[in-house]
Amino acid sequence: MSALLKKEMRLSASILSYLFILFAFMTLLPGYPILCGAFFITLGLFQSFQSAREANDIVYTALLPVAKHDVVKGKFLFCVFIELTGFVLMAALTLVRMTLLSNAMVYRQNALMNANPFFLAVVLLIFGLFNWIFVGGFFKTAYKFARPFVTYIIVCFLVIGVAEALHHVPGLEALNAFGFEQLALQLAALLGGMLACGLITFASYKTACARFEKIDL
Amino acid sequence: MNIVELKNVCKSYPSFRLQDVSFALEAGTITGFIGRNGAGKTTTIKSMLNLVHTDSGEVSYFGLSLTGNETQIKQRLGYSTGTVSWYPRKTIRDIAGITKSFYPSWDEEAYRHYLVLFGLDESKKPIELSEGMKVKCNLLLALSHKAEVLILDEPTSGLDPFSRDELLELFTELKAHGVTILFSTHITSDLERCADNIVYISRGKIRSDCPKATFLQSFGKPGETLEEVFLRMEREVDA
Repeated sequence: MSALLKKEMRLSASILSYLFILFAFMTLLPGYPILCGAFFITLGLFQSFQSAREANDIVYTALLPVAKHDVVKGKFLFCVFIELTGFVLMAALTLVRMTLLSNAMVYRQNALMNANPFFLAVVLLIFGLFNWIFVGGFFKTAYKFARPFVTYIIVCFLVIGVAEALHHVPGLEALNAFGFEQLALQLAALLGGMLACGLITFASYKTACARFEKIDL
Repeated sequence: MNIVELKNVCKSYPSFRLQDVSFALEAGTITGFIGRNGAGKTTTIKSMLNLVHTDSGEVSYFGLSLTGNETQIKQRLGYSTGTVSWYPRKTIRDIAGITKSFYPSWDEEAYRHYLVLFGLDESKKPIELSEGMKVKCNLLLALSHKAEVLILDEPTSGLDPFSRDELLELFTELKAHGVTILFSTHITSDLERCADNIVYISRGKIRSDCPKATFLQSFGKPGETLEEVFLRMEREVDA
């Protein structure tokens, strides 16, 4: 497993996948739809799929002494690694906003989504959707990625739009809690996001393995 | 002893059919795999590497079926092609560094030896190499993990006569060390020099599988080269 991940990181990955993790710092932007940071992290991952295709990476991996489904496993491991790194950074910055900056005026007067556990839950949902729609979709053919990526972009921005709008709906204001307000609800949302991301990613991995087994390279 | 065996391998595409392909490779031999473009050589090779799914038939190595023993078999298998380059923008050092982590049998000494023999610079990237050097780069990776079976898809295409000569000598040397080689090529003169057996495929069917001398005796006219025999047989099939 570690050899597969190492191969993805050192041979297949685009440098942009690593650089775009820094978009996690968008978490600190006031007056900006901060969920876009999650989208940009997945955009970096998309670059790795592009560069891997140019490098004949899928066939090279399939020729190594690994099972065919390990080709899929390698890609999922890499995506989850980058997403997890981005998530940890976003979580740390969210904690900064929840504690040290909880009363900062720029954030208090922010009409858009606040950085809180609910925000992190949606970040995880976006990552899960990327793993399902884009990565899972890519393994239908193992070379076509335009359609799955465009589909993912549409769904991702719909999710961002809905998540940004939710706390303006009467009765759902608690989703935009500051500091440690509404902590039980916020943590429940985060747990829900974790479960959703984990389940979607696992289901997508299983589907992608089954699809890839049927492909002639 | 047969190291590699294909039994009744079939694969259908909308416009092409591989039909009951069967042949075997004996240990420590070089088998030339010939056929015109589109005859089914690459599909056969891809079936042997589990890159395409066969509709029926069986591929086995070392007495083990490829189905269910893929990982174990690939440890002892090397593949090189003259038509594809892997990771064109990564250095040979990086590619080899990662590749070796998949092969417990990786031989660093052999890797260094072939680097020098092929005149390759580890800090170069495949994109900076000529076509011939790319072939050598692929071969370097295949040879460094002590593969017992080498499947070579047009390994000498793009090589200058001197480099080809060096490679053919190397294949003969590897054969002497017990390595089994399947050598798919259009350059039949290379096979005149080093092949023990010839497998001839045409329109998805194996037309002949026999020792080179038998092939020349059975299908050739006195004084004909392998290329002349091959061309004539193809024309007969066309007619």
